[in-house]
Amino acid sequence: MNPVLQEIYSTVIPSAPYIIAAYALLWVVLLMYVLFVVRGFKKTEKQIAILEEALAEKEGLNR
Amino acid sequence: MPDTKRQPKQRSLPEAGQMADRVAPFALIVGIVLTTVGFFLAFFYAAPVNGAEVYARDAAGNILRDSAGNALPALEEIGGQLVSNVLLISQKIFYFHMPVALVSFLALAVAAFYCVRFLMTKQQRYDTCARISMEIALVFVICTMITGEMWTRFEWGVWWTWEPRLTTYLILMLVVIAYFVLRNALDDPERCATYAAVVGIIAFVDVPICFMITRLVPSSVHPVVLREGGMSADMGITLVLVLIGMLCVAFALYRMRFRQVRMQERVEALKAALDEE
Repeated sequence: MNPVLQEIYSTVIPSAPYIIAAYALLWVVLLMYVLFVVRGFKKTEKQIAILEEALAEKEGLNR
Repeated sequence: MPDTKRQPKQRSLPEAGQMADRVAPFALIVGIVLTTVGFFLAFFYAAPVNGAEVYARDAAGNILRDSAGNALPALEEIGGQLVSNVLLISQKIFYFHMPVALVSFLALAVAAFYCVRFLMTKQQRYDTCARISMEIALVFVICTMITGEMWTRFEWGVWWTWEPRLTTYLILMLVVIAYFVLRNALDDPERCATYAAVVGIIAFVDVPICFMITRLVPSSVHPVVLREGGMSADMGITLVLVLIGMLCVAFALYRMRFRQVRMQERVEALKAALDEE
């Protein structure tokens, strides 16, 4: 490559790790929030199952 | 005789399972598609931004000058255009950095709205909405800081500088974090919600300061893009696509979290009712 083109493209390789890190970390943060919400859903579902069991027990005792 | 006195309009409280929740999955898909398209447009459609000028040099590496002593630019043809500047590929970070920053401002505006509604009505539901909006705002504030830091590190050679835009945005991030610290510190739900609402409104007050600071402080080195001639059409199209995509993603995340929190609240209410029986 001629020296002028080398200078024109001189920032491409050095900037690549920062560009990749910026995009990757952005999506990691968004994904982490999604996982946080999904974990909340799972916890709530477990609590609903416990409530259903407690209700079934109560109905069994009442009969 | 019918009561002709005007009754105050009863606003229905935000609730899960409404139309917004049916739209949310589609919004998420649209958001992912638009941001992916925007990503490819950023690298393959939007032209790179020009950096420092490249000068013609002799065999020894000395810059060639004209008779007036001005350095002669070196011209190369790239993609049918004559280029005489260093091409800044790091500027591609901008196409996601600016949209996430704008979305964080919008999330804070929504949070401030619900904070005001809570202070006016003392309805706990508005406090829930405010809290979730602040969570979304925090997520996008973190995304803005990360993308900004990567760009700052490469472009300016430092991880941090006390530049007006960066400083005001750091203050904004600290206020948003303080909102959650405050919520965790107070036990009484009524007091917690009231004080948190005030902090939420304070966070929103910083938003226009953050936005306008680069225009108010001329010495700021942070780029001011939204001005006449600041963006070419290809940059504008890419930016708008990513912005709409990020807005859709933020909306979908908000509705997903709201649905989960409402489900949790209803479970707690059922538990309390069962315990009373």
